[in-house]
Amino acid sequence: MTMEQALAAPATTRRRRPMADGAAAERRWLLWPPLVFFLLTVAGPVVALVQQALSGEGNAFAESLRMEVFVDSVWRTLLLAAVVTVATVVVGTCYAFAIAVGPVWVKALLMGGLLISLWTSVMVRTIGWMLLELPTGALFWVLELLHLRSEPIDFYQSTAAMYPAMIAVMLPFAVLPVLASVIGFDREQLKAATVFGAGPLLTLGAVVLPAIRQAMISGGVLVFVMSLGFYVTPLLLGGPANMTMSGIINGQLNTANRADVGAAMSLLLVGGTVAIYLVADRLFKVSERWG
Amino acid sequence: MTDSPLRRSLGWYRLPILVVALVTSLLFYVPFLVVVATSWTETSYIIFPPDGFSLQSYSGVLNDWEWMDAFKVSLRVAGLGTVISVALGTLGALALTRLRSRTARSWVRTLFIVPMAIPPVAYAVGLYSVSLRAEALQDNLALLVLGEALLAVPYVFVMVSSGLSQADPALRPVASTLGAAWPMVIWRVDLPMIVGHMLAGAVFAFAVIFDEVVLSVFLTPIGVKTLPLQMLTASQEELSPQLTAASTLVSMLAVALLGGYSLFSNRRAARARRLSRKAATA
Repeated sequence: MTMEQALAAPATTRRRRPMADGAAAERRWLLWPPLVFFLLTVAGPVVALVQQALSGEGNAFAESLRMEVFVDSVWRTLLLAAVVTVATVVVGTCYAFAIAVGPVWVKALLMGGLLISLWTSVMVRTIGWMLLELPTGALFWVLELLHLRSEPIDFYQSTAAMYPAMIAVMLPFAVLPVLASVIGFDREQLKAATVFGAGPLLTLGAVVLPAIRQAMISGGVLVFVMSLGFYVTPLLLGGPANMTMSGIINGQLNTANRADVGAAMSLLLVGGTVAIYLVADRLFKVSERWG
Repeated sequence: MTDSPLRRSLGWYRLPILVVALVTSLLFYVPFLVVVATSWTETSYIIFPPDGFSLQSYSGVLNDWEWMDAFKVSLRVAGLGTVISVALGTLGALALTRLRSRTARSWVRTLFIVPMAIPPVAYAVGLYSVSLRAEALQDNLALLVLGEALLAVPYVFVMVSSGLSQADPALRPVASTLGAAWPMVIWRVDLPMIVGHMLAGAVFAFAVIFDEVVLSVFLTPIGVKTLPLQMLTASQEELSPQLTAASTLVSMLAVALLGGYSLFSNRRAARARRLSRKAATA
């Protein structure tokens, strides 16, 4: 055996094997702790919910689907999530564009608003909306000052009172992905479009929108799915007439004292929401956008 | 940074876009300013516009054990939850870079993002029924911390993943060719590159957990409240300026900490850019 062979042979054999083993061990140690945690924190509650849903006399699933308040709340929640999604995506896209093209003071103002909304809690923002919309709240004060209205407004705890607040709560989730893609897409394409004489509408439709469509969809999917679980804002601002699915579930547990029905509804809500997310994820590659 | 190509191609449509955005920003500013303004009223009830100016409700909050206890409970829950979610989210993001198969990668990605989609009320009901079956999990904050950590994992995962995607992919093979075992590669190659993103993820996770109210409605032991839960209870009773004073205080704290953090990280990023420019010209 020559010197070169003696040096080379063990090195190649030694390097190949441990690296393959090492890679497997590495993946095991990196992936197992989170997977075990997910299993415990997700499967545990799901099993407990199934047990609880089956603990009553009747079929709690069928019973909850027969309950008119629940079915109503399902449609209401879906409608609410759809409206909030469309509104946040449209307005959020404008917001992101304005941050990209506005003068410096506009940029600062818009970024400031976005950061306030990201950094203060949903609770604080909802309390702000409450104080704004109370019969003699800040909104009434402004209207009175402008001589537009003299008697207290009957606005608080109505459907119309709930929407602006929810749109404001969800807006950052729609703005952030669109903003990232507006800032990031290729400017040369815009220049090319201008050189070839495309007007603003054509450029918008043929260059800008295709570049940011994916980001709009991921923001929208996230807002939709998160809106399905809305609880605090509709509770405080929408009142009893605007109960979301989450509100009904809470009522079943705490007022009606039907833990089995509440558990069945929770399973339906979680299952539905996660299923919608998974379908949207396969269709639009939402997770790839985020991770 | 002027974005003239985009500005030019939007043409006259720029004006309505700016107007819509500015009106929308009122949705962010106005409620917050109302909260701040009502906190300095001299009256013992909430009134807008505020009547006079005093800081009595601030001293009221700071001397009220109920509010201070809630604040401490929230700090503890958010601290523990953040540690767990940063550890798990970082492991997940690292594992993602080491998976070869595309399907495995896309499933791992989905798995680590999907907790964002879990409706908090339904999840809280599930955790609550777990606590009914396990004596050891009652009367303490363990389930609350675990549940909040799960909800915060996606934020850490997204932040750390974006950090890893900017890293030079050649460094890891180089390290292992030079004989570093995989724990060494993680410790000396990956972690130094993503420490900033882990910190950002931790800040995000902390803020998310600190603000989350629904899980604590169901999972706090009797007599124990987190700060958002205390706010929720107070907002369903007669509204007092103490509620808005506490809201203002916690928001100011968040703005100071997060604003300070982003200034700090911007400066770090600027220094890194300067150094790399210097290295490139040298």
